[in-house]
Amino acid sequence: MKAETEPTGVLMRRLLRLLRWRVWIQERLQPTEWQVTLMWAAVAGFLGALTSIVFLTLTERAHDWFGNSRLGVVESMQRLPWWGCLLVPTVGGALAGIVLKFGQRLTRAQSSTDYMEAIVIGNGNVPVRGSLVKSAAALFSIASGGSIGREGPLVQLAAVVASSLGRWRKFSPPQLRLLVACGAAAGIASAYNAPIAGSFFVAEIILGTIAMESLGPLVVSAVSATLTVQVLTSAHVLYRVPSFQQVSAWEMPGYIMLGIIVGVLAPVFLLSLKHAENFFVSLKLPLIARLATGGLIVGAIAINVPEVTGNGYSVVVDIVNGRLMWVSIVGIFACKWLATMASFGSGAPGGVFTPSLFMGAGSGLLFGTMLHHFFPSAAVDPRAFALVGMGAFLSAATHAPVMAVILLFEMTLSYDIILPLLLCSVIAYYTSKGLKGTSLYSEILKRKAAAAPDPTLGEGRVADMMRPNPPTLSANAQFAEIARAFLNVRVNNIYVVDPEGKYVGVVALHDIKPYLAEPDLAELVIARDILRDDFPTVAPDQPLTEALAGFLGVTAERLPVVDRDMLLRGSLAKGDLLLALVEKRKSPQGLPEMTAAGGVRSTSPELGDVAATTAAEAKR
Amino acid sequence: MILDLDVDSGLAAVDAIHHRVVASSDAVRNGPQFLADVRARMKLAPVCLSGELAMPHARTNAVSRLVVGIARTVGPLAFDAEHPAVRFIFLLGTPKAAVTEYLQAVAALARFFRSPSARARLLEAPDEAEFRAVLSGSAAALR
Repeated sequence: MKAETEPTGVLMRRLLRLLRWRVWIQERLQPTEWQVTLMWAAVAGFLGALTSIVFLTLTERAHDWFGNSRLGVVESMQRLPWWGCLLVPTVGGALAGIVLKFGQRLTRAQSSTDYMEAIVIGNGNVPVRGSLVKSAAALFSIASGGSIGREGPLVQLAAVVASSLGRWRKFSPPQLRLLVACGAAAGIASAYNAPIAGSFFVAEIILGTIAMESLGPLVVSAVSATLTVQVLTSAHVLYRVPSFQQVSAWEMPGYIMLGIIVGVLAPVFLLSLKHAENFFVSLKLPLIARLATGGLIVGAIAINVPEVTGNGYSVVVDIVNGRLMWVSIVGIFACKWLATMASFGSGAPGGVFTPSLFMGAGSGLLFGTMLHHFFPSAAVDPRAFALVGMGAFLSAATHAPVMAVILLFEMTLSYDIILPLLLCSVIAYYTSKGLKGTSLYSEILKRKAAAAPDPTLGEGRVADMMRPNPPTLSANAQFAEIARAFLNVRVNNIYVVDPEGKYVGVVALHDIKPYLAEPDLAELVIARDILRDDFPTVAPDQPLTEALAGFLGVTAERLPVVDRDMLLRGSLAKGDLLLALVEKRKSPQGLPEMTAAGGVRSTSPELGDVAATTAAEAKR
Repeated sequence: MILDLDVDSGLAAVDAIHHRVVASSDAVRNGPQFLADVRARMKLAPVCLSGELAMPHARTNAVSRLVVGIARTVGPLAFDAEHPAVRFIFLLGTPKAAVTEYLQAVAALARFFRSPSARARLLEAPDEAEFRAVLSGSAAALR
């Protein structure tokens, strides 16, 4: 035996001791690939929440400047003279147009900024500059009182941060898409202080599945974002509502009718937005003038009805708390509809998610009040109808009833209305779906899906998911080199290649683990002695569904990708494959489909309000 | 097992042990292939575990299960340039799929030969039965 004091022997002993520690830690502490994914999901959630806070702060500052006051949008509009009401949204629209116009120079070479497209039909790459330009434009249109939601840019910014994070960490396309989805969930969760709805929003509408492979990271991201917002700001329940009496059976027919009414109204609302979009396109105005015109219309309405400005949040709070008379709501409801058509139709960046809540609250209260007038016991408290109407309208507009119910519950924490809310939302969903197969953004996504083939569907091949340049060893690598390689990279199998790069086999950490305390072996054993040449491999042109079979019978997290000439091309991660197959379960044409359990499986990744304007711009 | 191997090189020692293994074991499916694989392995990297012990080996489909050929030289053998005084040679052949068995055998031998007294007892063993008993006893103790 060589003397233990010999430098190489000492070095080898230290190396093996380190490797033993590494294996010990790995077995007890080292996270699996899924745990690592969850960790990055949490980071994406945290960063998404920070961007949301920054954007909201900037929006408030910009609004302070526009309205010359620190009040809310509606309140400051009420204080402005008539010419101020006209001027502020017009200037805001023009500024948004200027930002978009000049921003086009920066983003000309970039692909679509839409995060939904990046998740559903893209590779998870959300361009940074384009997203910043669009969000900056949204900031002006929102801060100046445009009848548009601010949730869209929040989700967009959270998604772009997640995308940048994933690209920095060199995530594979399926992982990157999932991380962008996590960013989107974080954006929704931060905007509405609603982690469950944030997760389901993305799962149900964008990903079209609630499989744990994707839902788990979404939940972690949404929780991380919500916690961050709660710690750093004075976030609270979004809509404080009075407690309602337990709904009696006599009221249920009324809620069923409300479900049908809202189920009809939502598609009409969406259709009107589309017509408004077409109308503004037909005007053939330059971009800046078109957005200024949209702002001018909102301003003109706001002279007499300032409640139409902004996303409608404060008016919804007044409605569900019974602070507005039904007569005034009729006027506000009609004017808000027009104002949203003007803002959305002119292409103002922002969203129609919160305005949809307003439409639901308004229609619910009006119907409830009317019912109460004729049959008091059929609608004991019309405010409860307003609350239920919000969820039902959202369900009908987004075709995502589960998300709608959860979102409303999280925003109000009112369990009193859960039964009618569930019933009404489902009825509204079926009614809307029966009338019009598309939802809030599915038109856009269908257009996008038609424009770009979905890499995750049907033709998915191993080469699409493969990670290049896996760590390798030569067949003659000494034990010390093998130990060093396992210490340097966090894998359980290292591929062995010959000098031409041809695949020879695999050295498994599992095989050498029991012998790490045997430094004598280091003098004798080389990679060729311990490699496994019967380890399963996959080919680059193999369909993903076939590749899955390769993982059966082995505990490996990755398989080597070997071409016909036996050249090692990369590795295929089981996590990536499962994500891709989860995505593949979505229906092909972006159309939602019902699951047996009654939930919605939708491929139309249509949420995020900014997407709506993206398509409008594309059309123009 | 050869307890009085008298050759002048490592290759000659391997040939002799291989010849004995092929003659006595039905686990060798292809004798020439087995020898060729062992020699090929010897060219790639040293097969000596210490100054006294050489362990030429191959993972080969020429054997159906683990086979071991053992030799004790009559005097110090210059197995290769770096190991001029080898006394024990263990020729190992393991099926390609038997990675674990290969590592188990090598590790057991390495542990055994760490003990100077065990090495001495093997050197002093007068016959095959005693030699086998020392090895078996040590193997049992190792288990």
